[in-house]
Amino acid sequence: MDIIESRTWIEWVITIAKFAFCFVPVLYILLLIPMERRGAGFMQDRQGPNRSYIKIPYFGKIRLFGYVQNMCDGAKLFFKEMFAPAGVNKVLYYVAPAVPFAIVFLSPCVIPWFGPMVFEWGDKMVRIPGSIIDSDVGVLLLMGFSSISAFGAILAGWASKSKYTFLGALRTSSMTISYEVCLGLSLMGILLLAGSFNLTDIVSWQEHHVWGIVAQPVAFFCFLIASIAETGRAPFDVAEGEPELVAGYHTEYGAMQFGLFYMGEYSHICINSFLIATLFLGGYSVPFVTTETMQAHMGGALAILCGILAFLVLAFLHMLYRYSRKLKATEQTHRFVVLQEYKLYKICGWIAAVVLVALGVCAWLFYNPANFVVNGVAVGSLATAVGTALIHLLVLVVKSVFFCWVWIWVRWTLPRFRYDHVMHLGWKIILNIALINLVVTAVIAKLAGGN
Amino acid sequence: MLALIYFIVLAVIALGAAACVLLSRHPLYGALSLIVSMVSLAGIYGLIGSPFLGVVQIMVYAGAIMMLVTFVIMVLNGARDSKTPMFDKVSLFVIPAVLVLAGLVGFALVRAPLAFDATTLRGSVALTSRSLFDVALTGPGYFMLFEVLGLLLLSAMVAAVLLAKKRLGSVVSENTEDKH
Repeated sequence: MDIIESRTWIEWVITIAKFAFCFVPVLYILLLIPMERRGAGFMQDRQGPNRSYIKIPYFGKIRLFGYVQNMCDGAKLFFKEMFAPAGVNKVLYYVAPAVPFAIVFLSPCVIPWFGPMVFEWGDKMVRIPGSIIDSDVGVLLLMGFSSISAFGAILAGWASKSKYTFLGALRTSSMTISYEVCLGLSLMGILLLAGSFNLTDIVSWQEHHVWGIVAQPVAFFCFLIASIAETGRAPFDVAEGEPELVAGYHTEYGAMQFGLFYMGEYSHICINSFLIATLFLGGYSVPFVTTETMQAHMGGALAILCGILAFLVLAFLHMLYRYSRKLKATEQTHRFVVLQEYKLYKICGWIAAVVLVALGVCAWLFYNPANFVVNGVAVGSLATAVGTALIHLLVLVVKSVFFCWVWIWVRWTLPRFRYDHVMHLGWKIILNIALINLVVTAVIAKLAGGN
Repeated sequence: MLALIYFIVLAVIALGAAACVLLSRHPLYGALSLIVSMVSLAGIYGLIGSPFLGVVQIMVYAGAIMMLVTFVIMVLNGARDSKTPMFDKVSLFVIPAVLVLAGLVGFALVRAPLAFDATTLRGSVALTSRSLFDVALTGPGYFMLFEVLGLLLLSAMVAAVLLAKKRLGSVVSENTEDKH
């Protein structure tokens, strides 16, 4: 019972609530799949899937810009029969898809989602770290998890007892080994500068100096390429290249077992983009503003946040009005249905814009909490801490969504590499660049006088 | 108390997986059990207050080296389930030898005074080596452990050499084509 009484109840509530962040990668799948499909459509100058709809009585059809299509696909995968071909290794065949998907829930534990929450509760100063596990070996833990998740693909390929899956698994394992090395080495430069494996420390170093991408531009590109390769996405998807290997290691899988691989891949993208945003783009830190400044002007910060959101909503409305004007001018038969749908979005958009503006003005005028400085640390109320955490979280999400887009962008831009080209790139080019970068960084850091 | 429960759970998993390495027919199952064993060892490292070592164990051993091992196993005879018999005539000599060795080592370890102190585990190389080899200071426990490890590694090396020699000596008729 000592361990429970050692902290106040609010600390326990927040600590337990933080476990909700484990589900962020899974939620990102909901975002990434439509983003991938419509993004691919955008790249190839077509619409992308947008025809599925939900029929609402007395109103009409709702398509949610093609989002309903993804719901249909999900439902289809979910209700399909689980099927194992004859001759497979039953146990491993069923266990394999669960491995990468289980890692998905573990990996978010070490990412700092917001800066350490410091606030006053009663007469005590409470400090809560932004990650679920505030470990001193955070980055390494993440690397370990991602290397273990590759075993899912290997087991799947081996258990399926088919040549194609087997070759896919072999390629996955060799690619994971090669690109893990590059990933780790290109990471070392920024770790050297920050002087810590702890992700929160790395972010706070970036907050007080420069972003990792400025300090380590070469390492950033090495890391980006290596992590794209590690997720096994095009142009590095030799493990599931359909002209050679049907579908690689998950050829024999169907229904939700295939779905688990699919979701594991997307969640891996999500985690890697969070990692890149954390290591090289300042993580949760707001550009040009330190956390202390933000907390001192909490009302203003919230007002600016509401302003940005309202601007986004207005941009969305602008897009809608332009679409409707174009659509009215055409002779398409279904244009009235679509216009009816757009009317709903317009109403929602205007309500959101007005609410956001009102919230922003209220925050600006009426919310000016006092701050105290205890031992050089700004200590505010719980509301200030939660507000800061919220802003931090949103900033991190924006950064990571940008990198998710980079993944999709790369996939639909570059053609697939040949297997030997991938190995050549990994071992002979990126590894050496990362090594040289590490040496140069170490020498410069030493000459400039340590951290 | 909580730490003890964790330790027992992890130790049982580690030992069970290690036994599975011995008993599994196919090398890939052996490799998988070895991974489980290593991950639970990493948990034990974290438990005794050196999470860095634990994470490196996961990264290097469970991640990289076992990945390499599975790769090699799959390249060599992955598609073919090898049904080698678990015991043959050589076992008559090997099993008693292993049992005698295990008994000897167990006897030595039980007799050795091992005072487990978590604070001696953290710290510099000098501190670690002093607690390992300075028999006058910490008693012969750790030193004995070190020697036993050496013996274990030696026997593993001998076994590896033996296996490699057997493969070299046999007729090269290994048909790696799958027949499933």
